[in-house]
Amino acid sequence: MTLPAPAAGDAPPLVTTRGLGKDYAGVVALADVDLVVPRGSVYGVVGPNGAGKTTLLSILVGLKQQTSGTLEVAVERARIALVPDTPSFEPWLTAREVVALARSLVGLAPSAEAVDATLRRTGLADAADRASGGFSRGMLQRLGLAAAMAGEPTLLVLDEPAAALDPAGRRDVLDLVSDLRGGTTILFSSHILTDVQQVCDTIGILRDGRLLFQGPTRDLLAGKAAPAFTVRLRPPLDDVIGALEAAPWVHLVERAGLERLRVTVASTDAAETELVRTLADAGARVVGIAPAEVDLEHVFLELTG
Amino acid sequence: MNLWRLEWFRLLRTRSWIALAAVFLFFGLLGPISARYMEQILQRFAGDVSVVLPPPTPATGLEQYLGNVMQIGLLVVLAVAAGALAFDQPVERAAFYRSRVSRVWTLLAPRYVVVTLATVAAFVLGTLGAWYETVVLLGELPVGAMLLGMLLTSLYLAFAVAVTAAASSFARAPLAIVPLAAGVLIAVPLLGLIGALRDWLPSVLLGSLVGLVVGVPPVEYLRPALVTLVAAAVLLWLAASRLQRREL
Repeated sequence: MTLPAPAAGDAPPLVTTRGLGKDYAGVVALADVDLVVPRGSVYGVVGPNGAGKTTLLSILVGLKQQTSGTLEVAVERARIALVPDTPSFEPWLTAREVVALARSLVGLAPSAEAVDATLRRTGLADAADRASGGFSRGMLQRLGLAAAMAGEPTLLVLDEPAAALDPAGRRDVLDLVSDLRGGTTILFSSHILTDVQQVCDTIGILRDGRLLFQGPTRDLLAGKAAPAFTVRLRPPLDDVIGALEAAPWVHLVERAGLERLRVTVASTDAAETELVRTLADAGARVVGIAPAEVDLEHVFLELTG
Repeated sequence: MNLWRLEWFRLLRTRSWIALAAVFLFFGLLGPISARYMEQILQRFAGDVSVVLPPPTPATGLEQYLGNVMQIGLLVVLAVAAGALAFDQPVERAAFYRSRVSRVWTLLAPRYVVVTLATVAAFVLGTLGAWYETVVLLGELPVGAMLLGMLLTSLYLAFAVAVTAAASSFARAPLAIVPLAAGVLIAVPLLGLIGALRDWLPSVLLGSLVGLVVGVPPVEYLRPALVTLVAAAVLLWLAASRLQRREL
């Protein structure tokens, strides 16, 4: 199912594809993708491995050609920057030289002030004069971001930008993405759904090369998740789980901690009338019941499972 | 920092220039010496057999130099050129350049020109070394013939780098590009077996330095020079158009 993504305000979308397809010698990588990336949005492309995320991003930045469909990108090539999942640079170039080169490649003057500012913003000021060949994976990821931001892009395409980073590095990348929101349109592919949920205002879900959903994150979370409740109770939980799983209005019971269950139900009405009774009949020592916070991971698994 | 400076840095920081200069200079200095003392060298290994060679001439010194440098030296040129021209590997590095530059020629031109200039500079250095030693050990060389021969041989080297550029559009890794380019350069003289083509081939220029020194008229090299020039241009066009279409 593909839904049109609402545009931010009345501005035309920055990226539009219609029926976009790509196959490799008969193997379908993308099929009939109608992508709409609103101008100024942070658009998250999520999907399991092999879903076609990297292929889609590669087509958008001109590194691959689609085999069918059309692509409209309302920005010149020089104003598009790509950060691959594992950025790589000439190992004998320093970070400062990489950023200066990135500016020069898109026709911007490699001014020392602009280069230094970009290095500071990405946390590389102290490593500015070190050769990138000695950088850790996390530093290369930062350098990739620096090189991308140095070009002052209108469209920033990030392919799994935080996949290789430690928690602090991931936090920094997500903060950078958040800082860029509004001024730069960001297309962000990731399989770390909490990252996507944190920074993306629009989401497209890919599976097997097809776009299953596209739209604002809040619509996805509100409209696509089956209702669920978090039940906090004293152990033991086994009998209670058994009783809940036997109830016809219960879809799924998951342990969410030592004293916590997540109960996915067929309908909110049924849960509101039956949940307390079922727990009482099972002799549960209930501490609390609350509607479960909907998270992208559950929605994603429901859509792609 | 720009793409031209990048290539200059590549030459300096990967020490490619040392490899180029060293191999050409080494053979430049070795060639005339080995020509001058070849008879004595062979005699040492010949035992009781008496070795008699014709007296070495200045052209023999150059012949020794070119014979070595256009094999081992040319392989070094191909390796250096392939290192610079294999710009679609690794893919992530290629993405940095390719996603920012719409015309592949923007990337190809500085890589081709800088490698070619470095190769020609190394060749000139080696030839000056060979020239000096030849004069000291074997006799004078005609200045005009030497300069024209150096120009024509440089043209062949530019052709060899263009062959490498074209090979880089068929293969991605330097380890695949070098044998492909070497194979083409080895195959070109074989076309000389077709009699009508013999005097038109770029490989004719490999003998131009010695030929001009021994008195071959310069006009004899006009046809292969023109063919080499056109072939290099066609190869670069082929490389650019294939690389432009190639997906990462």
